[in-house]
Amino acid sequence: MTYPKWGWVLGVATVTAVVAFGVASWQASAAPTPGASPTVPAEQATVSNPDPGPAPSAGIGQDALTSTELGKARALAETTALKAGAKDVTGSAGPEYLAADIADADTGRTAELYYYDYQGNRLVKQVVDLRSGKLAGSYAATGMQLPPAEREVRTALDLLLASPLSAELKDAYAKATGQPFTGQELSPTAHIYHALPADSGAPQCGKNRCLRLIVQTTDGHILDLDKIIVDLSGRTVARLN
Amino acid sequence: MGTGMTYRKAAAGAAVVLIVASPAAGRAPAAAQAAAPAACVSSATVNETLPNGTTWRMCWHMDARAGLVLDKVSFSAKRSALPVQVLESIRLGQLNVPYDSGETEFNDLTDYGFGDGNLQTLTGEDCKGGSARQGSDGGPEGTRRNVLCVSAEPSGLAYRLNDGDEDTPKVYSKQGFDLVLRSISKVGWYEYVSEYRFGDAGQISARLGATGDLSPTDYVKADNGWPIGKGAKDYAAMHYHNAFWRVDFNLGGTGKEKVEQYDTKVNGRGSMSAKLTTARTSIAKEGSFAKANRRWWRLVSPASKNGDGHLRSYQLVTGANDVYEAHPETTPDVTFTQAHACEKFATGNADPQCPREKSILDFAKNKETMTDPIMWVRVGFHHVPRDEDQSPMPLHWQGFDLEPRDFTAINPAAPDGRQNVDGRPS
Repeated sequence: MTYPKWGWVLGVATVTAVVAFGVASWQASAAPTPGASPTVPAEQATVSNPDPGPAPSAGIGQDALTSTELGKARALAETTALKAGAKDVTGSAGPEYLAADIADADTGRTAELYYYDYQGNRLVKQVVDLRSGKLAGSYAATGMQLPPAEREVRTALDLLLASPLSAELKDAYAKATGQPFTGQELSPTAHIYHALPADSGAPQCGKNRCLRLIVQTTDGHILDLDKIIVDLSGRTVARLN
Repeated sequence: MGTGMTYRKAAAGAAVVLIVASPAAGRAPAAAQAAAPAACVSSATVNETLPNGTTWRMCWHMDARAGLVLDKVSFSAKRSALPVQVLESIRLGQLNVPYDSGETEFNDLTDYGFGDGNLQTLTGEDCKGGSARQGSDGGPEGTRRNVLCVSAEPSGLAYRLNDGDEDTPKVYSKQGFDLVLRSISKVGWYEYVSEYRFGDAGQISARLGATGDLSPTDYVKADNGWPIGKGAKDYAAMHYHNAFWRVDFNLGGTGKEKVEQYDTKVNGRGSMSAKLTTARTSIAKEGSFAKANRRWWRLVSPASKNGDGHLRSYQLVTGANDVYEAHPETTPDVTFTQAHACEKFATGNADPQCPREKSILDFAKNKETMTDPIMWVRVGFHHVPRDEDQSPMPLHWQGFDLEPRDFTAINPAAPDGRQNVDGRPS
């Protein structure tokens, strides 16, 4: 039976120890050779690299909601009661779909879906029991915000471009790229803005759903729009003082 | 979550024991291997054995706001072959980034999100030498991408012992390895690395790394910035990264951990040196706590014991940590709260089902008696920019360790020849 000298499968520590000690003694008395490789090769560790396989139709336990489950959950969550009187970020009927999380449930699979109703300025949480296929709860609150959905970010950029404050974006674009802004492609992200007591310019934000945009040009410049706040609820654009 | 949570934990603990198919599983009771209800789908399972025989097994998923979430983490090792659950889950609980100028502040989890479109698809050398795992990015459409990197990385010298004498040395010397899970989220100009390292002797390290670029727009005066361009002109704003983690233990799969605080005080002098005495304080009710010299906390199972008959526990070990006293929420070092499904984020908690529960201070306010404690760990880093931060910014890290305390009777990776060393040498 042969033992791999440095493999981790080696079960006899004393053999390793004796060899290692021999190497250590040799190193102490010999001048190091510049550029030589280490006398004790590094032990390697690898991890498995499994094939992810096809997308699962349903998850187990706390697995992320699958697209199939999300479709089912949305169908159950988007009730007549939810849609009644609600408006999305474009002003059309029905609430804006924001996010869906797997809930920390004892058993089964429970989805928590979040919507924003721009008419009532409220965040709605719809709890769906995927196993029974039932809406298990519905909650709404004002003054509460979740991160923006992609469509909300695009809408915020459109509102800014259509507002008098678009001059600031154009200036920032010219300053960053050296080119005039004539409708070039922009890559926006955004975060929720909550007005704090000392803030002026957009004190309604928090109650209203407001975004601060981070706009990047195609060549990677980030435009300085830190003081611009887009109020998606009021469809206004303001500058913080 | 009361009795429901208890049931879940018991079931989950059993499930982990049942499903593990590690090289060591042959020593598990045969009956325990019969049924095998999976804790998660196979693509969401990480099950890796490190060179010394330690196996970590867990499930992972991405959350739109929290980013990487690890669920049902269990440990087994060469000398403790039966997998035992450690964590129910671990994830970030907030990342608050206020700038010293007072002009801007971000809450990157709850106002922006580490998952969904901000979660980066792994590319380049993001996962060199590791395995890029595919799963949902946590977004509203459940888009599957390569978002988790799993790798095994050397952790340096694990132990060293010369058990012989000068003439006949008997050296035990071993390099260690960590199982490392990481994901990357781009939040504006910053790119954050959520990293968890699972050591081959049971240690767990939670870290947040920051790279990308400094804010392109936050330039200030000399008293709250640092000049990073030529001369003394461009003062990049100093700022904080106040990170929170939410840690839910499930030691031995039985849950109901007890929280303990330990303090050691100088107490007179002995014949040669000072006497120090250590006292335990039980923390039965919710509350927030601050570090003091030699103070530490642990979560102890009320039921699960190691081979020495000691109750299993994990200890919180914190290191470098800047307190941000400008917010009451970012002042305490650790907050323990009773598990409630509604209480998801350390600050900026926004659940219409519990509109008054906005932060850990609200969660803990009624000093509820804890039967299922959640540990919220805050680690702050005051970032003073420097020339080297441009560009890309070299990663800076902040985090903490969870150290097993009496989880196994001896070093779970003890080499042959030391396996019987347990207690006072005879």
